[in-house]
Amino acid sequence: MSSYGERVFAVSEVNTLARELIEGEFATVAILGEVSNLREHSSGHVYFKLKDARAQLSAVCFRGDARLVDFELEDGMQLVARGRLTVYEAQGQYQLVARSLEPAGRGDLERAFRLLVAKLQAEGLFDESRKRSLPVFPRGVAVVTSPTGAAIRDILSTLRRRFPCVAVLFVPVQVQGDAAPGQIVRALDALSARDDVDVVIVGRGGGSVEDLWAFNDEEVARAIRRCAHPVISAVGHESDVTIADFVADVRAATPTMAAEIAVPVLADVVARIARMERSLATGARDRVELAGRRVASLLRSYALGQVRGRIEQSMQRVDHAADRLVRGAHMLLRDRATLLDAASARLGGLSPREVLRRGYSVCVDPATGRLVASEAGAVGAGRVHITFQDGAVSATVEGAVRAQGGKA
Amino acid sequence: MTEQPATFEAAMSRLEQIVSELETGKHSLEEALRMFEEGIVLGQRCREFLDRADVRVRTLVDASDGSLVEGARFDAGDDAPPGGDEDRDERA
Repeated sequence: MSSYGERVFAVSEVNTLARELIEGEFATVAILGEVSNLREHSSGHVYFKLKDARAQLSAVCFRGDARLVDFELEDGMQLVARGRLTVYEAQGQYQLVARSLEPAGRGDLERAFRLLVAKLQAEGLFDESRKRSLPVFPRGVAVVTSPTGAAIRDILSTLRRRFPCVAVLFVPVQVQGDAAPGQIVRALDALSARDDVDVVIVGRGGGSVEDLWAFNDEEVARAIRRCAHPVISAVGHESDVTIADFVADVRAATPTMAAEIAVPVLADVVARIARMERSLATGARDRVELAGRRVASLLRSYALGQVRGRIEQSMQRVDHAADRLVRGAHMLLRDRATLLDAASARLGGLSPREVLRRGYSVCVDPATGRLVASEAGAVGAGRVHITFQDGAVSATVEGAVRAQGGKA
Repeated sequence: MTEQPATFEAAMSRLEQIVSELETGKHSLEEALRMFEEGIVLGQRCREFLDRADVRVRTLVDASDGSLVEGARFDAGDDAPPGGDEDRDERA
């Protein structure tokens, strides 16, 4: 203990001395107290007093640190302030310079969080094997969130933008406060009983750790796990992770992203259908073409008229099929100018009888039975069969014809 | 004609199945055409599912027996301030 004896100090001197002593002794300190006289200066610095039943202490949190406070400071709240003690020399007042503030009990929350994570993890609630996959095209999307938050509006506008043919079942609940977990659990359980729901989004917009706490509730976690439908969690912002996120089948970073995960983009789906319709037309056309080639081959093989009846029947089948194809397609798509129409129209020209009737002929390599569709093919074959509308001839290929002037 | 799938998802997967089968080219002409026709009907049906004008939103509220009943219409339009006091007209 120092003693300053008879020495006479100037005020400023003793204040400096006191500041040095206090700062040396309390370089880091955590203080629990109730906030009062809270004042946020326009500079961004926050001034308040911490008090308990018997005493009070001035405190300041400078702008840079105040910006990092992730909850709403209010008079009357219990706070743990961490920082250093110093002396404001001009006033001879000692005070706390707080570097970080947290609501009292947050440490308890964090401990509780870790314990619950460990417990549910041990039970296997977070196992990847328990995660269900989401429906590709949900008819009904249930949304469990607050009616007043931004989350429901973000979700609805995203669903409208991407996949407006979906039905939404909105279950408004409180998402913070003591009643929240119970309401969320009841909503999830009630939705389980419904068959007009294919996927559930549960969540809320951003907030402090305390605001998000309902989503760290054990009963909420269990309700998500036992929900009959796959659940997407959407709690807070990117960086907020809750137990609901661990247990949900899919975690979305934000409510908007949850809606994006829940439904596809309508235009993509329509394009996919159009692609499949094109494949249908191509597949059917190829099949008819194949049949046409068989008929041509029959015409060639049985040119002597051995089984004329069968040939005619085959031709009729192909004609009939092509007619049905065209008629069917036109009937179904009369009002749509789709690529399918074009494809189906082309099919009309594929009936071999039609083709031949228009004066075309079919050239076949008798050795392979394959259609000869090129100059090289014909030269390679040497001998070909040419089928006209009224019969077929055998021909010998002398060589390629050099067209005058050639191709442009 | 074959039985119609009840949901969009079922119609889409049947359509996909038909397309890939048709592409194998293994079916008889008659079968292939029947599949084509079924596929065209399915495609049409899928489009109808998608033709709905707008997201239909129903609000469901807790009916004390643990089920949910239809509540007041929820308006999330930007023009309407979010109703903290959404008056729930509970019809059982």
